[in-house]
Amino acid sequence: MYLFWQECKMNLKMLLIWAFCVGGLSLGCLCLYDSVADSVGKMSDAFANMGAFSEALGMDKLGIGTLEGYYAVEICILISLGGAMFAAMLGAGMMAKEEEGHTCEFLNALPLGRGRIIGEKYAAMFVLLAAFHGISVVCSLAGFAWMGSMPDVGHFAKYHGAVFLMCLEMGTVCFLLSALQSRKPLGLSIGIAVLFYLLDLFGRVIPALRKLKVLNPFSYSNGADIFSEVKAPAGAWAVGAGVTILALGLAVWAYRRRDLV
Amino acid sequence: MTCAIETRNLTKNYGGNRGIRNVNLVVEEGDIFGYLGPNGAGKSTSIRCLLGMIHPTSGQAYVLGKQVGREQTEILKCTGYMPSEAFFYPSMSVDEVIRYAAKVRGLDCGGEANRLCDRLEVDRKKKIGQLSLGNRKKVGIVCALQHKPDLIIMDEPTSGLDPLMQEAFFALLMERNREGATCFLSSHVLQEVKRYCRNAGIIRDGELVKVESVEKLTKTNLRRVKVAVPEALQGLLLERLAGVEGMSEMTRRGVEISFSCRGEMKRLLEALDGMEIEDLLIAEPSLEEVFLHFYD
Repeated sequence: MYLFWQECKMNLKMLLIWAFCVGGLSLGCLCLYDSVADSVGKMSDAFANMGAFSEALGMDKLGIGTLEGYYAVEICILISLGGAMFAAMLGAGMMAKEEEGHTCEFLNALPLGRGRIIGEKYAAMFVLLAAFHGISVVCSLAGFAWMGSMPDVGHFAKYHGAVFLMCLEMGTVCFLLSALQSRKPLGLSIGIAVLFYLLDLFGRVIPALRKLKVLNPFSYSNGADIFSEVKAPAGAWAVGAGVTILALGLAVWAYRRRDLV
Repeated sequence: MTCAIETRNLTKNYGGNRGIRNVNLVVEEGDIFGYLGPNGAGKSTSIRCLLGMIHPTSGQAYVLGKQVGREQTEILKCTGYMPSEAFFYPSMSVDEVIRYAAKVRGLDCGGEANRLCDRLEVDRKKKIGQLSLGNRKKVGIVCALQHKPDLIIMDEPTSGLDPLMQEAFFALLMERNREGATCFLSSHVLQEVKRYCRNAGIIRDGELVKVESVEKLTKTNLRRVKVAVPEALQGLLLERLAGVEGMSEMTRRGVEISFSCRGEMKRLLEALDGMEIEDLLIAEPSLEEVFLHFYD
């Protein structure tokens, strides 16, 4: 497992920067709630009646006048989008960085085998994503504790579990792209994360796009939906799990057959 | 004796581009084998096929009796490889890279790594990102040798090393060879192949054109000849030489006429018989000339 530890160590800096930026922002926003509560309360009613805009952000279901509503509508977007971008960047760099940095000859001359190389790298990505979410959960709970009002445990746990799975799906898809290429597909990966987020937003207001929501990992990890107990599109979880397993399987299959340059 | 390396019709095409074509190579255990060819001839492609980094289009390869591809991990356990441009993770220190290469193998190579670092004057505290190509090469040599492999494969090992380090490197290699390791060196530096290798293969445009002992490669019937005769007799000499078979590359500088002779030495001596010769030199060709001959 030396490659696994080395990979965790090499990505530790990126993990800490992203986790403490996203976690710190969540904590900061929660701690500042009291000072903005009055204005947020006034805005809440206005936002709830803004038609498509309210629907897109989930404010038709939850008011931002309460701390939990504020967390579900505002802070969850930050955690979901930040987590997805971190997962995309992490996945995109995992395999292709070896060829881009010309270290693949050093790595592949060691008696590991390609199956073990890709397996240990994926395990490192999984653990780094779990650590990212662990930090963001701790920061959110610290914010709630500071405010003296804890969220509903079931909603909170379901949301963070769903975001972790969404990030794992996003990371695995980008991991597959990374295993197929000799240059880190960073732009493409971040683009995919942002595109899916925007498609989820549009999918909530444009009827023609609603059918596609089942394919979108943001659809089952939407904070406003989970905290207001709106069910994710039927099959979205299964599609997410299927895409993750398929992308990982394809990555292993392709990496074992590729010529490394 | 078993083969350290054996390839059978090994072919690799990169799409429409040529890589290597029907390479049949045998390197016996305990040999020091030089793999000669200019840039782009297919040396690195052959090595990468042996190490399983690229998959051959057709043909088979065996390393230390194990089939490349099927038993790749077993092959890599007994092999030490240094690529032509030794790249490592820039954020790691030299010491971390050396320990990383040993730990991944599940070995404690601390003692041997220390000895190699002392011999090659490797500064283990420096970050990889701070190292020159030569110093990265030294780290690559330590990583390739610290686990005492049975087969050492080095792709252009001396590029970037200063002459003193080249000596130290070859001294280490010779020691390992005396202990039983097989060395496979890809190079286009002919002098080091002539000096250190027992056998050599010459690859041209992806095809292995010659495999021979270095001694035999340089002992062809080709001779470089220099004859000095008075200017008045040069016309006569040229006339006589024109009748000898296998003459080529004739040049004239002052009283000296130099040429290559591939024909019978007896005919050459008959042509020179009776001439007023001031100086005569008949020499074996250098490895460079033999090498260039395969590229003519």
